[in-house]
Amino acid sequence: MLTVENLSFRYGRHLSPVLKNVCLSLEDGEIGILLGKNGSGKTTLFQNLLGISRPQGGTLLFDGRDMKKMSRKERAGKVAYVPQHIQFGALSVYNSVLMGRIACFGLRAGEEDCRVTEKILADMKLETYASRNVEELSGGERQKAAIARALAQEPRLLIFDEPTGNLDIANQQLIMEEARKIAKEKNIGILCSLHDLNQALYFGDRFFFLKDGTIKYSGTGDIFSAEIIKDIFDIDVHIIEAENRKIILGGKINED
Amino acid sequence: MKTIRAEDISIEKKQLRSQEQQKLLMITALTVSVAVLGLVCLFTGSSRMSLTECVSVLLGQGTDAGIRIIWHIRMPRVLAAVIAGGGLSVSGLIMQTNLDNPMASPSTLGVSNAAVFGANLSIIAFAGGFLTTGHNLSNYAVGINPYAASLMAFLFSVVSILMILGMCRTRFFTPGVVILSGIAMGSVWTAATTILQFYATDVGISAAVIWNFGDLGRATYKTDLIMLAVVWMSTAYFWLMSWKYNALLSGDASARSMGVDVDRLRFVSLLTASLVTAVCVSFLGIIGFVGIICPHVTKKIVGQDHRYSIPVSLLGGSLLLLLADTCSRSMGNGSALPVGAITSLLGAPFFITIIFSKKEGTRC
Repeated sequence: MLTVENLSFRYGRHLSPVLKNVCLSLEDGEIGILLGKNGSGKTTLFQNLLGISRPQGGTLLFDGRDMKKMSRKERAGKVAYVPQHIQFGALSVYNSVLMGRIACFGLRAGEEDCRVTEKILADMKLETYASRNVEELSGGERQKAAIARALAQEPRLLIFDEPTGNLDIANQQLIMEEARKIAKEKNIGILCSLHDLNQALYFGDRFFFLKDGTIKYSGTGDIFSAEIIKDIFDIDVHIIEAENRKIILGGKINED
Repeated sequence: MKTIRAEDISIEKKQLRSQEQQKLLMITALTVSVAVLGLVCLFTGSSRMSLTECVSVLLGQGTDAGIRIIWHIRMPRVLAAVIAGGGLSVSGLIMQTNLDNPMASPSTLGVSNAAVFGANLSIIAFAGGFLTTGHNLSNYAVGINPYAASLMAFLFSVVSILMILGMCRTRFFTPGVVILSGIAMGSVWTAATTILQFYATDVGISAAVIWNFGDLGRATYKTDLIMLAVVWMSTAYFWLMSWKYNALLSGDASARSMGVDVDRLRFVSLLTASLVTAVCVSFLGIIGFVGIICPHVTKKIVGQDHRYSIPVSLLGGSLLLLLADTCSRSMGNGSALPVGAITSLLGAPFFITIIFSKKEGTRC
C-alpha cells in the first residue's frame, strides 16, 4: 500500500537535512511502529506523508501512485492523522467527527456524511457522547474522538503521532487496542510513533528504527536486540523472554 | 464496559437536535432584537419628536422636518450601526479563528492605525474634508471633496493589509508572524500620525482628532450601501467556509490532513476581514471593542461552530452598536457622544464579567 523510497527533506535550503534517504513500506491492515529518539525526524516524516511538508527528494507511493501528485482531497481520502496534541474547538462530539468528512462534502454535510459519522460513533462506542462538548471529555475519550474524526475520512492509512503520550496506563491500553481493532477489522494500515518499546513490541507488526533522519533498521519483532536499542537510544537494556514474548527491561544510560 | 442502550442513543440524538434548534432560536431572537432596537434608535433623539410623529413619518406622512430627521438623519445612522456593527464583529471572529488568538481583533493587521494616518494626512496636509458630521468644523472642509479623508483612510488601510499579508505570505505565514507584523506596522502608522499632528495647525488637529472618534452621524445612504455590499459578500464567504474554520480549530496540521488548504483559507479570510474593517473605519472612524467583545460573547453562548457563531456574532455586533448609538445620542445633551467610546464603556464591564464567569480551561 505505502512505499517510501529515498525520501529526503530539509526545512531550509541552507539547513541540514532532517530526513535522509528514508525507505519504508507498509501493507493494508499492518501496524507499523516508528521508533527513535526525540528529534530523530518522526513527526517530519509524518508531515511529508500527509502533504504538510513537501519532500525535496525521493518518492512517496500509495498503491503505486505518486502521492506528491495527489490533490488535497484525494490524499485526505487515503491518509488521516491523529496528532500528538489533540485539539478541538468547542464543538459537539458529533460535529467534531462529522468534520472529518470535510474533504468529501466541502460546504455542507449530506446524508451519506451523517450516516458514516453515526456508524463510526457506534463503532467507537461514542454514540452516547454525541451531543457533549468534545472539550469536556476526558483524555482517553478525546483521543477516541480524534480517532473517530480521522476514521470519518475513510482512509486506507492512519497516522498516529505518539498516541499514548498524555494518557494513563489504562487509556494507553484502550487506545492501542482500538488501533489494533481498526487495523485488523477495517484492514486499515497504521503508522504510529511510540516511545514505549514494550508497548511497541506488543502492538506492532513491523518496526522502523529512525536515527538522525535515516531508517537504520526495520523488520518484524524479531529485529529487537539490545545492540540495536543501544545504537538507536544510547541505552543498555536487557531483553528477556516470557510467555513467548520479548520483554525489554530498562537499563543504564550510555554517557559516552 | 458500560452497555450502550438504544434509548440512550435516542436521547442523545434528541439532545443534538434540541441544541441545533436552540441555536436557530437564538438567531431568530437576535434578528427580532436588532429590528426592535433599530426602531427604538430611530425614534430616539434630541429633536423630541413624539412616537406618533415618528410612526406617521415612517408610514409616509408627517412634517417636512420630521421626514428630514427620520429619513435623512436617523435612518442612515441606524443602518450604519446595523451594518458596521455586524461587519466589525464578524471580522473579529474570523481574525480570532484564523490567528488562533483570543486577542485578535478586526484591527490586528494595523488597519485602524493606517486608516487614521490616511485620514489625518488628508485633513492636515491637504485640508481634505470629512463626511458630513454633527461636529461643527465644517468650515474646514468647505469646497473640498467630502470623501477625501475616507478615501485616503481606505487607501492606506489597504496598503497596510497588503504589505503585511504580502510579506508574511512570501516568508512565514503563521499566526504569530502575522500578529507581530500587524503590531509593528500599526506602530509605524501611529508614529507617522504623531509626527503629522506635531506639524498641524490647531484647526487641523481638531478636525483630525474628531475624525478619529467613531461617528455614525457621518453615514449616508451611499456609504451604507457600499458598507452593506462589502459586509454582505464577506459574511456570505465566511459562512460558506464555516466547516473549514471549524477544522482550523483542530490545529493547522489536522486541518491540512483533512484536505483544507490552510494557507489559502487564512490569506483570503484575513484579507477579507481586514477589508471589511477598512471600509467601516474609513466611513465612520474608529469604533473599537465591537470586534473583540462580540465574538467572545458569541462563543460563550453558542460555542465555536462557525455555522452558528458567524450569524450570532453578526447580529450581536449590530445589537451592540445600535445600543451604543442610542446611548451616545441620549447621553450627549443635544450632540452625540463618540460611539466608539460608548461601545467600550458598555462592553468592557460586560466583557470582564464574561471572562471571569468562564469555566477554567475553556478556550476563548
